[in-house]
Amino acid sequence: MVLLPHTYQSAEYAPRLAVRLGAAYVASVSSATLDAGGVLSFSRAILQARLRAEVRPKRRLVVATVQIGAFGGHDPVELPERVFEVGRPADVERHREREILGREAAGAGGVDLPGAERIVTAGRGVGGPDEVSVAADLASALDAELGASRPVVDNGWLPREHQVGSSGHIVAPNLYVALGVSGSIQHLMGMSGSRVIVAVNRDPEAPIFSVAHYGIVADLHDVAPALTRLLLARRPG
Amino acid sequence: MRIGVCIKQVPDTDSHLRIADSGREIDDSDLNWVISSCDLCALEEGLLLAEAQVSRGEERPELVVFSLGPPRVEEALRKALALGADRAVHLAGEALQGGDALADGCALAAALAKVHCDLVLTGAQSDDLGQAATPAVIAEILGVPYAWLVMAVELDSRKQSVRVVRELEGGMNEVLRLDLPAVLAIQAGINKPRFASLRGTLQSRRKPLHREDCSGVDAGLVGAAGAGTETESVSLPPAGAGGVVIEGVSAEAAAEELLAHLEREAAL
Ligand SMILES: Cc1cc2nc3c(=O)[nH]c(=O)nc-3n(C[C@H](O)[C@H](O)[C@H](O)COP(=O)(O)OP(=O)(O)OC[C@H]3O[C@@H](n4cnc5c(N)ncnc54)[C@H](O)[C@@H]3O)c2cc1C
Repeated sequence: MVLLPHTYQSAEYAPRLAVRLGAAYVASVSSATLDAGGVLSFSRAILQARLRAEVRPKRRLVVATVQIGAFGGHDPVELPERVFEVGRPADVERHREREILGREAAGAGGVDLPGAERIVTAGRGVGGPDEVSVAADLASALDAELGASRPVVDNGWLPREHQVGSSGHIVAPNLYVALGVSGSIQHLMGMSGSRVIVAVNRDPEAPIFSVAHYGIVADLHDVAPALTRLLLARRPG
Repeated sequence: MRIGVCIKQVPDTDSHLRIADSGREIDDSDLNWVISSCDLCALEEGLLLAEAQVSRGEERPELVVFSLGPPRVEEALRKALALGADRAVHLAGEALQGGDALADGCALAAALAKVHCDLVLTGAQSDDLGQAATPAVIAEILGVPYAWLVMAVELDSRKQSVRVVRELEGGMNEVLRLDLPAVLAIQAGINKPRFASLRGTLQSRRKPLHREDCSGVDAGLVGAAGAGTETESVSLPPAGAGGVVIEGVSAEAAAEELLAHLEREAAL
């Protein structure tokens, strides 16, 4: 079995690798089970996370990509170091049919979402560009970085580098607070590995509550300022 | 020049989804079927590229649309013709059904090779299974370069290569040059797919739609026989984290309660 993370880099070539190896291919798995008879199966979300499928490879060799955040971090395991010398494929030198011309940031830097201990995210539910401050104020009271869902970025309320989700940052902080985020699969893919997830949403059916450890069903414009006030009042000095 | 566009027909995401009695698939008796959203963007990008060639005074590339599936997918192909594709190929027949991305990619690659496309466009991932595998499989079998999550496409003037911008994580983009022929998997957001006009719909009825059974391909490589995986069961997602819900109290009380929980969790 060949396991790769389901990143935008590896998920691009992983199916090609499966074809070349004559292997089965399963993308973006969230768990794997080996039953008593030694039969392997993978669980993965289908139909935009509305259902799950158990998928069984029919070939001896499997290439699978693993959904980011599906497995919590473990303490590093000490393994004996083994170095494999891999020869350089002969055809690397030939004319490049696919050439990287460069990389460009879609926005300016200055936000360290993946490294953040705590993140407060503004969803479309904050309401508009002037209301993003309710999330920003709570973020600063929590010493947190400020995140955003894709529509908040697409609408220009916050720059692209704040975006959390499959096409933004993949994060797994200690604390993730989602304000007015519905919980689409693309958003969940970016943050469901967080240790403690808090959601504030006025819709009790919002899918974000299915991953939240603490859910507040209320208007975020009432709850977020109340949280900010309490946190600031507790600060020493 | 010829551009091939592969589209997949999927259940409308707003459809009510029921699990079939077999427990292995969704009940498809009462579903609304549509073209997968990124595939519509791929078709739109093909139309835009064709139009750009025309406005440069070049010959309009031919746009051929492909879809594999049961008879219902002809409706998706007709819609693509109404939107502006020139002709359609329906990969049909018992032997092609029940495949996964490996098997379907193999059948599509064979059909595409027959037609000799200079550029193949697909969606980045389907709205149903979402594996993002079929376009990569097509590229591997055709032995041509591939890019996933494409956000911009530009043909060079001699039509020998294509310059693309693809999304990376964290708001980064990568700029690539790919020799043609190539396969590009188009990401949602690259363009705004048009709606079919009445004229387009009327014209689509006269456009050619032909069946391809891929009989030239080894039967062990396509359909259920060629699939590398099988779906054992389909189920509702687990009920969730079983989280604490705070509801029906004042904002201050909710905030107090939450902070007490977070302190216990050492999350502050
Ligand atoms: C290929 C692809 C990639 C994508 N990548 C990403 C990605 O990286 N990140 C991402 O986030 N999305 C991504 N998306 C978009 C995604 O599908 C959703 O559209 C998006 O996540 C929804 O954002 P949202 O939750 O902020 O908005 P909505 O879905 O509109 O949800 C707003 C929520 O706010 C609640 N609300 C409204 N007002 C209030 C209030 N006053 N108080 C409390 N709650 C309130 C509502 O009940 C609702 O649940 C992607 C989509 C595609 C197709």
